[in-house]
Amino acid sequence: MYAWIWHHLPGPTAARLGLSFVLFLGVVALLFFVVFPWLEPYLPFDRVTTG
Amino acid sequence: MTATAPGPTRRGVGRSLIRGFGELLITLGVVVLLFVVYEVYVTDLFGERKQAAATTAVDRVWAQSQETATVVAQAPQEMATDPQQRVPTYDTVLGEGFAKLRIPVLGADYVFTVVEGTEPDDLYIGPGHYSQTQLPGEQGNFAVAGHRVSKGSPFNDLGLLSSCDAIVVETRDDWFVYRVLPMAEEEAVWASTPRPHCNGVQVQTGAYTGVYGREITVPADYAQVLPVPTVLSTTVPPDAQRLITLTTCHPQFSDAERMIIHGVLVASYAKAPGYLPPELTET
Repeated sequence: MYAWIWHHLPGPTAARLGLSFVLFLGVVALLFFVVFPWLEPYLPFDRVTTG
Repeated sequence: MTATAPGPTRRGVGRSLIRGFGELLITLGVVVLLFVVYEVYVTDLFGERKQAAATTAVDRVWAQSQETATVVAQAPQEMATDPQQRVPTYDTVLGEGFAKLRIPVLGADYVFTVVEGTEPDDLYIGPGHYSQTQLPGEQGNFAVAGHRVSKGSPFNDLGLLSSCDAIVVETRDDWFVYRVLPMAEEEAVWASTPRPHCNGVQVQTGAYTGVYGREITVPADYAQVLPVPTVLSTTVPPDAQRLITLTTCHPQFSDAERMIIHGVLVASYAKAPGYLPPELTET
């Protein structure tokens, strides 16, 4: 998977490194702002009320 | 581009399947680590911003309603009021702040704006008031839930509270000073041990027997936030005490149980520009 991505990134190695980092940041942002907020209520970590 | 990707035909399908599976596992591991970072740090940042906005909003509302005082009294005994005469005149709106909670022993900067409601969106903003329970200063139980880890972590340090520590609630019109009830292990020696700041704090008797300063209980124990925390009824008895109850998850990083803090109202003060209750300087 990662090898496939690497081979399909354009440009020299430095550019590929930079693009990889940008892709990584994009995935992290997707997780932090979309996936995790959606997932959170289903996980047994922070229910603080009684009843 | 001249380079061509080595296809599965050259190295074998099995090999690339195994490699893909390994990469998937590593990726999942990183995602789990990122979730921990999100839960412990990132939600704190989001929560602090929401809390700051709620505080700004409640400050604006209070500034509008504040009377221009001509005489500023500063002696606590002159500012003391009778809680029975103080009736809440404000309305609460779900998700909006209506009170501020200060716990001086947790630091002079420990202040959180309490919002109405205990839904996840409310608790992301700050400690949330159980809507079915009483308002600050009223007979019955002013019950508040808050996150222990994540979302600003307002109740992370509730485990550090001792009996008689002050919990100060500021509303639009009043200051209400609650003190943590005796702990279960202090019950036997309570009367024989002199303690500072403990005026008005007694071992609970009658219907309140078994209500302690700190309790660890099961999540279903709803009576804890009701007027008499041992009785599963929303009716406020005529002789009900004026309690505060704080609930959070327990143990830390889990929500298998709940930590409950109970306190009793010991003093109330009128608000005036520049006046702060003396209890706020206790450490």
